[in-house]
Amino acid sequence: MNLQNITADKLVGLYKNRDLTATEVITSLYEDIERTDKDVHAFLSICRERALEEARRLDARIASGEPLEPLAGVPVAIKDNMTIRDMTTTCGSRILENYVPPYTATAVERLRSAGAIVVGKTNCDEFAMGSSTENSGFFVTRNPHNLDRVPGGSSGGSAASVASGTSVIALGSDTGGSVRTPASFCGVVGIKPTYGRVSRYGLVAFASSLDQIGPIAKSVRECAQALEVISGFDHFDSTSADISVPEFVKDLDRPIKGIRIGVPKEYFVAGLDAEVRAKTEAGMRIYEDLGCTLHEISLPHTEYAIATYYLIATAEASSNLARYDGVRYGLRVDNSSLQDMYRRTRHSGFGQEVKRRILLGTYALSAGYYDAYYLKALKVRTLILRDFQKAFEQVDIILTPTSPTVAFKIGEKTGDPLSMYLSDIFTITQPLAGIPAISVPCGKNSENLPIGLQLMGNHFEEALLLSVAHHFEKA
Amino acid sequence: MKISEADVEYVAKLAVLEVADDEKKELAEQLSRIVEYVDKLNELDVSRIEPTPQVVTSVKHAVRDDRVAPRTGSSEAAGTVKLFKVPKVITER
Repeated sequence: MNLQNITADKLVGLYKNRDLTATEVITSLYEDIERTDKDVHAFLSICRERALEEARRLDARIASGEPLEPLAGVPVAIKDNMTIRDMTTTCGSRILENYVPPYTATAVERLRSAGAIVVGKTNCDEFAMGSSTENSGFFVTRNPHNLDRVPGGSSGGSAASVASGTSVIALGSDTGGSVRTPASFCGVVGIKPTYGRVSRYGLVAFASSLDQIGPIAKSVRECAQALEVISGFDHFDSTSADISVPEFVKDLDRPIKGIRIGVPKEYFVAGLDAEVRAKTEAGMRIYEDLGCTLHEISLPHTEYAIATYYLIATAEASSNLARYDGVRYGLRVDNSSLQDMYRRTRHSGFGQEVKRRILLGTYALSAGYYDAYYLKALKVRTLILRDFQKAFEQVDIILTPTSPTVAFKIGEKTGDPLSMYLSDIFTITQPLAGIPAISVPCGKNSENLPIGLQLMGNHFEEALLLSVAHHFEKA
Repeated sequence: MKISEADVEYVAKLAVLEVADDEKKELAEQLSRIVEYVDKLNELDVSRIEPTPQVVTSVKHAVRDDRVAPRTGSSEAAGTVKLFKVPKVITER
């Protein structure tokens, strides 16, 4: 049995009809992991015994005719920057190599309450800092569509696992595209919800004003199912939004005729791959056929987004990562004095990209540069937010490519950090503005590599966003 | 703006990060390129614009009542970790 062609609904249906047991599914899944993951390297750790135990318990409940939860027995993978009690949480960093948290992230807790079975923790760029999963402190994850290519990042392990059928749904986190880029590169669906929609409790902080957890799956429907489960107020996260969660799944088939779709001209410029552009334009025509109207719009501050993002995200990161000093978590490089211990622990525990970002963020916050860099970036963020507010007065949804290119080659951009940053151009503005965005597959290029179409909605408009994406997927 | 090796050293000190001598040159070059790129923001006049440190979504954010509430893991954390040992902090002059 291969999970690559099976949806969460189908799986739960098979359990209900007693055509399959959860034990069979989980057992065969770990065989798949053994077979494929030595090439793909999606998982940092697996939890076979625990998953099998949960499967056996579920099978017993099915046998006694108990009602099943919506995601009962659905195998899920969790990006390794979300805590699960008693399971190592490394964030892809050597500094947290042996960190075992005493609590579980709210989003994971909610998935489990809905019946899902966690099968393992997935690889990511160290502390989610990267666009290719090459910055993991442990190993590089490869794209299941072509093992010489990156899976995208930073949630590359989660997307690669879903694409290779070693999980049905995976959680990623998105700070500047980290759910959507890997979804796009691996040919699956990934959604970054509105800031505040999903609790960040238990998500290891990278840039607190941008980070959001989002699901990755093969279909929009499964993303909607997972998002419905993990969304909602949580008093353990002070930025969690106290707003009701619509029934995303029920809403998927709502008519979309007459929906106004904006196409920002700033996204169709030099640097956009010709085949990606062609598939995106084909996507626009599909929406016209579905009765939506297309409108050219302008998001004039798009060209300032990467500079703004890399100042804000690194400034927040330099502060968030100050806690890894060798005292309370994981690694400690002992030395004679406290200061030396701090410095040496951080030196051997953090990788190059993390160090670079801590230095850049510290620089942007330091006396004499705070106004020129950090404060200025916060002001430009206001302009970017206003661009979207204006756009959503004219249109309901905004359509762009997810990434300017398909998955690039492993090693292609690692020597030049700036060129890696520039590849994030289309997925940076949404976290800055806090709006939701989804990436859906829209075909493949001539080398058979997947291309993603990105749709964005206004704050808390995930129901509309998911439904518009769902209609595209069906068309 | 150019970042010198001395700048890297200074910022590394602020960030309590050891940077090896052979890393300084490369970091200075890489950070210079990035800082030159972000200098792009100087094209904009933002003197009358308010900063957005956090996107406010007109939703009441969580302000918890000051009550003791159970929290997963807190008792275990307190149970397993009695103290954190660090190198000697106070030294004789």
